[in-house]
Amino acid sequence: MNGFWSGRRRGKSIAAAVVAAGLLVGSLAGCSGSSGSSSADSATKGTVNWWGWTPEIGVGKAYIAAFNKVYPNIKVTYKQVATASYDAAIRPALASNVGPDVFNMAPGGGIGSIAAYQGSAIDLAPVVQKALGSDWKSKVAAIGPVGLTTSSGKLAALSVGSTFAGSVWVNPDMFAKYGLTPPKTFADWVKVCSAFASHNVTCFEQGAGDPGFNMDLLHAIADSIKPGVWSKAAAGKAKWTDPTLVQAMTVFKSMFSNGIIQKGALGVQQYPDVNNDFMAGKTAMVMMGTWYMQYSTVAGATAAVSAAGVANAKPFPIVSIPFPDVTGAGNPAPLFGDADYGLAVNTKSTHQKAAETFVTWLATNEAAQQVVANSLNDISALSSVSPKWSDVTLVDQSSQQSTLESLIGNASKITEPRLGDLSTPLGQAIGVATASVAGGQATPTAALTTLQSSAKG
Amino acid sequence: MTSSSRTAETADRAQGRGAARRRSFLRPTGYAWILPALVFSVGLLYYSVGYTGYISTLNWNGTAPDVTHVGLANYAKAFGDPVFWLTIQHTAISFVVTFTLSTLLGFVFAALLHSRPWFGGLYKVALFVPVVLAPAIMAPVFRQIFANDGQFNWLLEHIGLGALAQPWLAQSGTALAVILAITIWGGTGVSFILYSAAMGQIDPEQLEAAELDGAGNIRRLVSIIWPNVRGTTLALATLSAIGALKTFDIPYLVTVGGPNFATEFLGTLIYRTSIPLGQVGYGAALSILLLVIALVMAIVLNAGRNKRGARTDA
Amino acid sequence: MLESRRRSSRVILQIILTILVIPFVLPLVAMVQGSLAGSGWGNYLAVLSVPELPLFFRNSALIAVATIVIVYVFTMLAAFGFAKLHIRGKSFYFWLLIAALTLPEVVLLTPLFATMTSLNLYNTYWAVILPLSALQLPFTVLLARNFIDGIPDELIEAARIDGASTVLAFWHIVLPLTRPIGAAIIVFTLLGAWNDYLLPLVFLVDPSTQTITQLPQFFVGQFSNDQTKVLASAVITALPEVIAYLCLQRLFERGLSAGALK
Repeated sequence: MNGFWSGRRRGKSIAAAVVAAGLLVGSLAGCSGSSGSSSADSATKGTVNWWGWTPEIGVGKAYIAAFNKVYPNIKVTYKQVATASYDAAIRPALASNVGPDVFNMAPGGGIGSIAAYQGSAIDLAPVVQKALGSDWKSKVAAIGPVGLTTSSGKLAALSVGSTFAGSVWVNPDMFAKYGLTPPKTFADWVKVCSAFASHNVTCFEQGAGDPGFNMDLLHAIADSIKPGVWSKAAAGKAKWTDPTLVQAMTVFKSMFSNGIIQKGALGVQQYPDVNNDFMAGKTAMVMMGTWYMQYSTVAGATAAVSAAGVANAKPFPIVSIPFPDVTGAGNPAPLFGDADYGLAVNTKSTHQKAAETFVTWLATNEAAQQVVANSLNDISALSSVSPKWSDVTLVDQSSQQSTLESLIGNASKITEPRLGDLSTPLGQAIGVATASVAGGQATPTAALTTLQSSAKG
Repeated sequence: MTSSSRTAETADRAQGRGAARRRSFLRPTGYAWILPALVFSVGLLYYSVGYTGYISTLNWNGTAPDVTHVGLANYAKAFGDPVFWLTIQHTAISFVVTFTLSTLLGFVFAALLHSRPWFGGLYKVALFVPVVLAPAIMAPVFRQIFANDGQFNWLLEHIGLGALAQPWLAQSGTALAVILAITIWGGTGVSFILYSAAMGQIDPEQLEAAELDGAGNIRRLVSIIWPNVRGTTLALATLSAIGALKTFDIPYLVTVGGPNFATEFLGTLIYRTSIPLGQVGYGAALSILLLVIALVMAIVLNAGRNKRGARTDA
Repeated sequence: MLESRRRSSRVILQIILTILVIPFVLPLVAMVQGSLAGSGWGNYLAVLSVPELPLFFRNSALIAVATIVIVYVFTMLAAFGFAKLHIRGKSFYFWLLIAALTLPEVVLLTPLFATMTSLNLYNTYWAVILPLSALQLPFTVLLARNFIDGIPDELIEAARIDGASTVLAFWHIVLPLTRPIGAAIIVFTLLGAWNDYLLPLVFLVDPSTQTITQLPQFFVGQFSNDQTKVLASAVITALPEVIAYLCLQRLFERGLSAGALK
């Protein structure tokens, strides 16, 4: 009986099966990826791998093409990683010896946080000094190096451009259609929204399921009441239970009940939901930052409207309005921002010199920065550069160019960070506070008290 | 070949013990057969478990060189975290609801489609495609469907149930129900396929005999088909339990665990803790707790399986 | 399965089936509608003209085929062992395997990364294939074991009396009988491998080794999101899986030859 059930034979044949499977699969190994062997590090020759969550692939390729006209022997490969997966992907990659040579980094505690990855970044101060001279700080927007310098003084990344939030964007066609004008005060805002509601049109849409954008809204309200309190609280120099912030949270809460914010906002994300509704002409106003400038151009707006699912897409001339003065305090319209992203060079890169060349070129070269400025996504890092309007085709030059210019002008003076002074846990705690107030689970005071206690400890 | 000669010895010994385990007596040993899978899967995954266990005793952000050993503090933190208990509650609800409904629907679909309806292939594709589609793709579609001005409310209004229309995803009370509905939408195809395969094994004569006895469709479903696919039902129970514990994509992508943690699951909590918050130690402790819950559940399910007497050899 | 010889009862069954399937179809309709919104078929053209598409497709196919081979071989061996052979502490080993299923991929990332780096496999397809197979195996073993459980012992014993070894019995009796579940295993493993997003993203650095799940990324920016083309790429990505299922479903249909089971 045991002869039939021979263990030996059985073992042999399993081994054979495993080996066979191994061979079959092994034949695939030839195709497996391997990065080319590293040659000597040179500032004008080599290969550079760049990972980022932004810019888009097409824009990244355009940057690289422009770069290659000057440095034809540095081959740059850009890999865009989805915003939601960037941290999951970059952590192990930076820990390995085959990670990217250049990677995106951002101020604050969100995606690509400087706090998390500065250990993998070389100090770029000597490089930028070489490129722009010892007075380099006066030549770039101050907000860049502020957010990308570590507490020990290392410049961990070079800002390519900045983005600012606090502005509201409107669809003028929709306002015109119903004979309405964009709101300047809170009372205006309520009135405008009830007028839109009477036509069954969404007035102001907010992706309240997205904590980051609730934070922008609350931050803007607080700055409109009394500038600076939010920043102090974020830095731990004021309490989150400060009367200004309680008032701001109360205003925030009222927007959900007085018809300004659409019903069901807590189940909506700013991207892609709100963005697509705005581009499809389904809502008249959204709270978006300076990155929305890119939809002022014919090309940008047409693509965005089509992407929102509208057939035979026709662009409309979006314009930004200052955040309404919610309490009549008469303060300047709030605007706050940071470097959108900075480029860091990996300490383990075997092509550091070539990587430095690329990073420096994109962040400090006038021609490169002109490309950044003209794309109207980021406000260029180099102060001397501004969009060249003759090269940009706006949907409606007469209504848009002046507002864009004043928006860019205002933004370049701003030093109040949007994300830069928020640690990850603090950002999460603010998100919890806004969601619980918006959902009616907590009063503004209770939510802020909880926030204050979690911020402390 | 040492391992196989050892297994042969074991077989001899088992035979020597004889009568108590008659079935074993006839069976050759199978260690060599399960070895590749065990070495491969268990080796790779349990190494990861051990690693995670070690990390769970640290206070570490995953990249920084400074690491603090904190013992079991991360576990204490979990037990004191109300969100952790909330996720346990959601997981339990999710298991009960998705298992019951997916299984029932999968079973009914398999039975109906085995009855050779017209255009059976089309129905199968409709059930299978949801399994294939990545949740990342479908998340915005579902947010649109269940939005306040979405298709679902539109449908309710047009069938005279307008009073029920509400912002489904924006309310803590209804968001979880939507998440479960999406899970069932994507999971029924699997139970359908498995039941379909199992029903293919049922002896047609058994069904014919029942038909001759005058048993109706319902009776045949309940008293012949259902008992015959019990193995599949049990497998699905295990899979649903595992699925509930692992729930991540759908709540993360559709509601980001919100509003107010109403759709937070262990998976989303672990992700949020380990990746964006960078609390790798705490995230690892939560993972180990997840594994412990899984093991407890496995033992319970296994006990249930043995008690019903289906398996005598395990 | 159900009695449907009379036309009326067949119609009733058809109606029940149709009503039940509607909730499953509607989101798909919404999706296809979405993929055709805006530029209409132009969305599909845009996706199909992504220059990397053939490369991504090939890479995904490579990973899927290798994973399927590993999973199929190891699963069949193990499932037969668990279902029909004597193993002391069988339950223990079995649940050891199954419990590993519960760990979320995200948790495994860091330890797997450490393993792949120390095995020098980081940035090779193996770094994706091996964890994918390891993660898939417990599930498929569970399926296949239940299936093989249903094969009467007598069949195998009959083969043994005819003079076949375990290996021969496995080869000539068990494997042919397990074709339906084998087809299911292939489909599920294909799904797991084809749809996997995180592992290729993290373990394959080289852009030329990226997989098909990266396709929608071409239409999503930080502050832009072309849902129409994302949905179109989802339809294109899903097609091979639906085709594979349609090809293999005949195996479920044909099931087991009734004679062999009696």
